[in-house]
Amino acid sequence: MLKAALACGVLASIHVTALLADFASPVPFATQQREYAFAPPTHIRWFDREGGFQLRPFVYARVDATNVKRYPVQFFVHGSSYQLGPVTLDRHLFGVAAPARLFLLGTDGFGRDQFSRLLAGGRISLTAGWLATILSLSIGTGLGALAGFYGGWLDHSIMRIGEASLTLPWLYLLLAGRAFLPLGVPAASAYLILIAVVGVLGWARPARVVRGLTLALRERGYVVAARGFGATSGYILRRHILPDALPVLVTQAAILVPQYILAELTLSFLGLGIDEPVPSWGNMLAAVQHYNILVSYWWMLVPALAPAAVSLCCFAIGDALLRRRRAVPL
Amino acid sequence: MIRFLSRRVLHAFVILLLISVLSFVFFQFAPGSYTDAMRLDARVSAETESAWRTMYGLDQSVLTKYFRWMRSVLRGDFGFSFAYGIPVSSLLWPRIRNTLLLTSVALLVSWSAALGIGALTVVRRSRAVESVIRSSMALLLSIPDLLIALLLLLFALRTGLFPVGGMASLGTAHTVIAHTKDVALHLVLPALALALLSLPLLVRHVQAAVRESMCAPFVQAARAHGIPAGRLWLAYILPAAANPLISLFGYSVGGLLSSSLLVEVIMGWPGLGPLLLESIFSRDVHVVIGTTVLSALFLIAGNLVADLLLYAVDPRIRWEQ
Amino acid sequence: MQIRRKCSAAQLLLLVCASSLSAEDLLVTSLPPGRYGGDLVVAERSEPKVLNPVIAVDSLSREVIGLMMADLVHINRESQRTEPALARSVDISEGGRRFIVHLRRGLRFSDGHPFDADDVLFSFQVYLDENIHSPQRDLLIIGGKPVSLTKQDQYTVAFAFAQPYGPGERLFDGFPILPRHLLIGPYKEGKLNKSWGLNMTAGEFAGLGPFRYKEYVPGQRLVVERNPYYWKQDSARQRLPYLNRIIFEYVGNEDAQVLRFQSGDADIISRISAANFETLSKQANGVRRLIDAGPSLEYTFLFFNLNDLSNKSLPQIESKQGWFRDLSFRRAVSMLIDRQSIDRLVYAGRAAPISTHVTPGNKLWASSRVTPVSRSLETARSLLASAGFSWNAGGKLIDGAGRPVGFSIVTNTGNNERLQMATMIQQDLEQAGITVRVVSLEFRSLLDRLMTTFNYEACVLGLASGDVDPGSEMSVWPSDGSTHLWDLSKSGLKSGWQMEIDHLMASQMRSTDRAERKRMYDRVQELIAGNLPIIPLVSPDVLAGAKAKLKNFSPAVLLPYVLWNIEELYWSEQ
Repeated sequence: MLKAALACGVLASIHVTALLADFASPVPFATQQREYAFAPPTHIRWFDREGGFQLRPFVYARVDATNVKRYPVQFFVHGSSYQLGPVTLDRHLFGVAAPARLFLLGTDGFGRDQFSRLLAGGRISLTAGWLATILSLSIGTGLGALAGFYGGWLDHSIMRIGEASLTLPWLYLLLAGRAFLPLGVPAASAYLILIAVVGVLGWARPARVVRGLTLALRERGYVVAARGFGATSGYILRRHILPDALPVLVTQAAILVPQYILAELTLSFLGLGIDEPVPSWGNMLAAVQHYNILVSYWWMLVPALAPAAVSLCCFAIGDALLRRRRAVPL
Repeated sequence: MIRFLSRRVLHAFVILLLISVLSFVFFQFAPGSYTDAMRLDARVSAETESAWRTMYGLDQSVLTKYFRWMRSVLRGDFGFSFAYGIPVSSLLWPRIRNTLLLTSVALLVSWSAALGIGALTVVRRSRAVESVIRSSMALLLSIPDLLIALLLLLFALRTGLFPVGGMASLGTAHTVIAHTKDVALHLVLPALALALLSLPLLVRHVQAAVRESMCAPFVQAARAHGIPAGRLWLAYILPAAANPLISLFGYSVGGLLSSSLLVEVIMGWPGLGPLLLESIFSRDVHVVIGTTVLSALFLIAGNLVADLLLYAVDPRIRWEQ
Repeated sequence: MQIRRKCSAAQLLLLVCASSLSAEDLLVTSLPPGRYGGDLVVAERSEPKVLNPVIAVDSLSREVIGLMMADLVHINRESQRTEPALARSVDISEGGRRFIVHLRRGLRFSDGHPFDADDVLFSFQVYLDENIHSPQRDLLIIGGKPVSLTKQDQYTVAFAFAQPYGPGERLFDGFPILPRHLLIGPYKEGKLNKSWGLNMTAGEFAGLGPFRYKEYVPGQRLVVERNPYYWKQDSARQRLPYLNRIIFEYVGNEDAQVLRFQSGDADIISRISAANFETLSKQANGVRRLIDAGPSLEYTFLFFNLNDLSNKSLPQIESKQGWFRDLSFRRAVSMLIDRQSIDRLVYAGRAAPISTHVTPGNKLWASSRVTPVSRSLETARSLLASAGFSWNAGGKLIDGAGRPVGFSIVTNTGNNERLQMATMIQQDLEQAGITVRVVSLEFRSLLDRLMTTFNYEACVLGLASGDVDPGSEMSVWPSDGSTHLWDLSKSGLKSGWQMEIDHLMASQMRSTDRAERKRMYDRVQELIAGNLPIIPLVSPDVLAGAKAKLKNFSPAVLLPYVLWNIEELYWSEQ
């Protein structure tokens, strides 16, 4: 159980950090420091060039080639102002004094701080990932449970429609949707609308899983007994079947969340991704998919770890739930 | 059996028809048309462009377009490609073979790997093995398709062990054996990329199915009777786990087909992927719809095969019929 | 005589040599002798689609066709001037209204069939045919009337135009001569449009280019082989081309193209991004040679929607057009853009900032009088202030009515550079308080907005001239041009300078005096730089690479960048 608690903690902290991205990041995500294009992660030092140990970590400034002046890493520094809920703040978690720069994860081709973008990108990507996952899972669970529980022609038609919907060329509808959205819609909202549509369209796979589960559960002794006692179908679904489906749904979420985060890559291929300069894990990863970046700038790969961490936490939680309930897996 | 089969074939036919209609309707919504790019061509006047529109029937109603397409399907042409100026079927057939080769090999690889890994984690019950597999699956899930393909190509480039993309080297088609060897060598990386992409999902399902059947009372009883592990697996656990896995099989065909699209593009595999992608971008309607209907056909066929297997394996289904 | 100017003295000398020595009137070039043999593998991002020059529209198909077919007069991609090809000479008379084309005698198509004036007549009959809708057809409508051809003898054809034609013999480049003996049948049956698709066999094809069609493997490769009847020789009288086969391998995207080139599977790479060019250069190590041929003829630019939107019900955009139509606003925007940074970050320094549409790559026509745009925040601010704009407390630019100034820039996905430029422009304009939103759209969706719905505010795009001659820009600059992107509505709302451009462009097409045409085109460039219907950004360099053993490899800024001198390429011995 310890592991699951840890996973929950990590998951929560990822979300909180994303929420507080403006505070936790040293510079705004859109600021282009053009003279620092593709700068590698800044070397944070404890030892100066004479070999003397410094208690407070520091960096050297690039403009100062002789590396004499140390710029210590400071906490709760003043910087550009941002909105946190109703209040305007200008404190940032950490930073260094100009002209030194502190790029924890390096910069991209415009000289934008990758660390700031990773945090801010989490906001969009996590929202998008969860939004689409919840939509897929809730529609999928509803239809899957219906199909599995009632069976017969209902089961048959739901499953066949699901099959068909997997092959339909939905992306034309998405292209059309993008064409109908006014140009003035902010980048993030436009993307969330599209990913919500993608989420709704993704019901078929979870539906199949839930259907299988329901088929197995409805023959269980306690379900048959409940039915014998005159329980209504709605009651059985609500009381016996859905709770047992929970661990499976969490595991499904572990698969779906990263999938929907990455769906942006495909979408941006079609001009349906988030527009510049708004960052997301999807468009940060899209940048690495180019050969020249992959071989030249290794730090651009780091964003791939973010969705992986989310997925791993969900897997751990799903497994723990599964073990505790001793329920039928999947 | 015959009744079951004929009913399913009839359903498949109706679904394919439905998919073709919906594809046409959806396509209608997408902005732009094939001839639009001609207007950036300095040589082409607006009149010539509109003449091409008329020539291709782009200015007609959806209904007319659909019936024209249907007629050409009945002739076996599957419509006419604007970009290539030849019937779509002559574009699809040579490529579908390659796509099927790639996906079937990838299907084989990914399922054997998934069965192996899934069974291993359940049998071993080792926390370490389980968490290593879990984290690598989570990482695999989070690496984009293109990146996996690119990393594998980079591996080929650095080590020189495999060809960097493509399906056949120049001038190796002299003997059948040499040619087969050459294609097989080219096949390794794309198939591996596809298998890696579909692995996390499969492993998850295999684990679940095996775990469930191991908990089943009859397996517990068999174990209690002291039946040796090998026989226990082959005769008891796997058959019981087969049902959910077989129905997953049908779906995994569809999944592989769609992810093979991008892998084929970057690995230079001459399948449907590159053709489809290019025709989506150039709004070459009939090629796109032909490919859509064809992949729907494969998905449905995959599900049908799965159902037939279930019919053979699971007596309950036969009884229901 | 003024009219014969296109043939240099050296070329004339060669012509004389060639014609006096054999019954087959071959073209002897001054090329030092090369070595026969070997294949050339080219990795391409897309497949050639049709090999029929009459209907081919995509650039790769045209490139492959260029290897297999020949035209009467050819533009030398390096010198950017015309040189004789199938025509031994062209006599221009009647003030540029009549071209007498003297064909080379005794030439043969790649299937051995002899070539003569009937093939020329047939080809132009096909290009002009109203039922075929060849994309080239409009080029042959001069002064409102189609060009008329008469056969004078077996090797002489006269072309008559309704009015003098400025670009002169350049017209003929781009009209490959078709084999009458193979295509007359399909033409009469009305099936010419369906001939020479990729499902043809080698026997159905014949051309006059250095290579001929061999085979096509769907989705994989197209192979062309040496044409034994080709009509060019090197200085040692060896018949060109040197290479045995050219293989176009089809790889899905640019990354795959780069990987193939690096692994040595592909011998040539072209049309690569500056980023990939840099990566390849770092690892070139003598086996591969990478060449930057300098600024291309492509000009990338930002433009505003100046269409008449009164019947489009787009009030949002219409209300912003007041700014867009204001020259001071456009000039301020132009001054705010950091072209140097675009060059450095987007193109790795391999581009040239431009201030008009004629790029430095155009040796013959670029005007020296157009000055580069100097970036200046102060001048931009004072320009905006003088045009009635001001800044609010938050530092945002507001117009005379107090509305905040902001607009969206659309651009297409699939072209990283354009998206990056838009992103940089966004930050540049932010400095003057202008809020810019970047919207990337898939290419056809973008074209639909630009050309049909007019539902956009500003756009970053690039256009590449097909030729250096101003004639190739006729669809862009006159207000009725089909690529006059910023104002396709033909609203009739023409400014004085646009009317002057219309007049100048039309007159230069009628003039056959090179100096006069240059003067007029210089003025057009000045008008564009001064009035900014488009805001020119940069012109990317032509970047290419080849294995170092490939000789005579010389990328040019005219399309096709690398294979234009394919007949001269050969493998050195080591």
